[in-house]
Amino acid sequence: MSGPGPGPGPGPGPGARAGARRLGTVHAEWTKLRTLTSTWWLLSAVVGLTVAAGVAVSGSLTAGACPVPAECHEDTVRIGLTGIWLGQGAVIVLAVLAVSGEYGTGTIRAALAAEPRRLRLLAAKALVVGALTAAAGAAAVAGALLAGRRVLAADGFPLPALTEGPVLRAAAGTVLYLVLTALLALGAGAALRDTATAVTAVLAVCYLLPLLAGLVSEPEWQERLLRLAPSTAGLAVQATANLDGLPIGPWPGLAVLTAWTAAALAAGAAVLCTRDV
Amino acid sequence: MDGNEAQIEVRGLRKRFGAVTALDGMSFTVEPGQVTGFVGPNGAGKSTTMRILLGLDRAEEGSALIGGRPYRELRNPLLAVGALLDAAAVHPARRGRDHLLWLAHSHRLPARRVDEVIEQTGLGPAARRRAGGYSLGMRQRLGIAAALLGDPPVLLFDEPVNGLDPEGIRWMRGLLRSLAAQGRAVLVSSHLMSELEGTADHLVVIGRGRVLADTSVRELLAGASGDRVEVRTGEPDRDRAMTVLADAGATVAATGRGTLTVSGLDAQRVVALLGGAGVAFSGVAAHRATLEEAYMELTREAAEFAAGPSGPSGPSGPSGPASGEDRR
Repeated sequence: MSGPGPGPGPGPGPGARAGARRLGTVHAEWTKLRTLTSTWWLLSAVVGLTVAAGVAVSGSLTAGACPVPAECHEDTVRIGLTGIWLGQGAVIVLAVLAVSGEYGTGTIRAALAAEPRRLRLLAAKALVVGALTAAAGAAAVAGALLAGRRVLAADGFPLPALTEGPVLRAAAGTVLYLVLTALLALGAGAALRDTATAVTAVLAVCYLLPLLAGLVSEPEWQERLLRLAPSTAGLAVQATANLDGLPIGPWPGLAVLTAWTAAALAAGAAVLCTRDV
Repeated sequence: MDGNEAQIEVRGLRKRFGAVTALDGMSFTVEPGQVTGFVGPNGAGKSTTMRILLGLDRAEEGSALIGGRPYRELRNPLLAVGALLDAAAVHPARRGRDHLLWLAHSHRLPARRVDEVIEQTGLGPAARRRAGGYSLGMRQRLGIAAALLGDPPVLLFDEPVNGLDPEGIRWMRGLLRSLAAQGRAVLVSSHLMSELEGTADHLVVIGRGRVLADTSVRELLAGASGDRVEVRTGEPDRDRAMTVLADAGATVAATGRGTLTVSGLDAQRVVALLGGAGVAFSGVAAHRATLEEAYMELTREAAEFAAGPSGPSGPSGPSGPASGEDRR
């Protein structure tokens, strides 16, 4: 047990530069997330659940229902990516925990002591959570598409080339969808501060609204709900066929989700910047 | 940077939590090179003041400056101030070393610095374990390590010895003394004055959100109506002893069966007087005021007020929402 020596003080050094400090806050957020095993479990769950559910749903399809397999008009890409409905759950938990976990454990005070400019802290969290989600989302989408194709090809389905425009839109759009959902959850975590409350709220918005739409008997209201719910609107981007039958187009759908995300982040920023911690 | 960077300046802080006034014009300064004790009952406003100093809570009025700047304007805050607010505030699933590592990364400090503070605080191999399994003592050491990371000239410790074992308390005292000896400004809060005895050079005593006394420890002890002498004497001699001592100008009180408490005379004079008058006694002991007694005397007024209108709104009540321990 040594007393404190004078210590080779780190001094201002290069760290005093404002630019380096901003990067420092991002670096700190990355270190925080990577040093929790739960982060890696949740990211694995995003990939695992998305791929597994995609394979299961693809496997349940039989081309035998179509008169000629070549005339099947199933949206095979969208079917292969159905697992996002499961994978997004893990994304939501990860993103909410990135903020609410800090309130729950009290580390939010250390975080704000290290970065007193609160918007910067939120931005750093958003950047790191967004990047991790994008990486896991890209792996999940690639895995689900490739595995789904294998299953469907074995069944004799005609498959579009992976380089076709709508397929690329569905793939990139799904990754974007996951990132936007993560940021929505992050904003909710910052606004509500409590893990259970925030996770419940985001799950309700992402899963209950579409379910509710299914229960509404009035078709006009049903469509309205599907257009406004962040998950159903956002996932319109996965469609590669029968676009006219969608309640909302692929990119407008993603724009609806973006609006939800922006609102959640704005609420989170407002709470973070105005309230005591 | 204007002002001494190793200085804390609190001016006229006011803060309310609902109907309760937590801070009511709190003002004091903390100078470098000494340990300043920040003392008051639970709910007096110690933690709130510290949170405002760190920019975590906002005051309705007043200023809290470190090295002449509000915390939120500090470029590299961890290099300017180190703080231990709540030792329990670590993620239980994160290893102690990783907790220090993310703090270090936030200020571009090298990992070498993390290992230095681990060494300095005696965290040792525990740093490789998850913080959830730490004892309170280890958590305190981790919190201290985090505060020392940026080698800051100003240190704030909120109840640092709370829950430490005797060996830990001894270590903490030595650490606080040596940090001050290095020229740093060290502010240490406690609700027990006895914890600061032998550690603090200066005291800021607070109650109900304001400063009751801002004084050096030496002055406080000297000012306490402290020096008394206890005389043990048998029943037949007691009355005579009282008369003799009172005639010599002392204030004498019978404080127990066969015990007199004498103030106004030193022990040597008491012995001489009693001996000269032929009064038998079995013991004379000088009783110096302790810091605790001086503090009790100082805060009696405030304590009496607080004990009067008891109820949830009493600022000193254990459920006072102004108390950092209870708020969250």
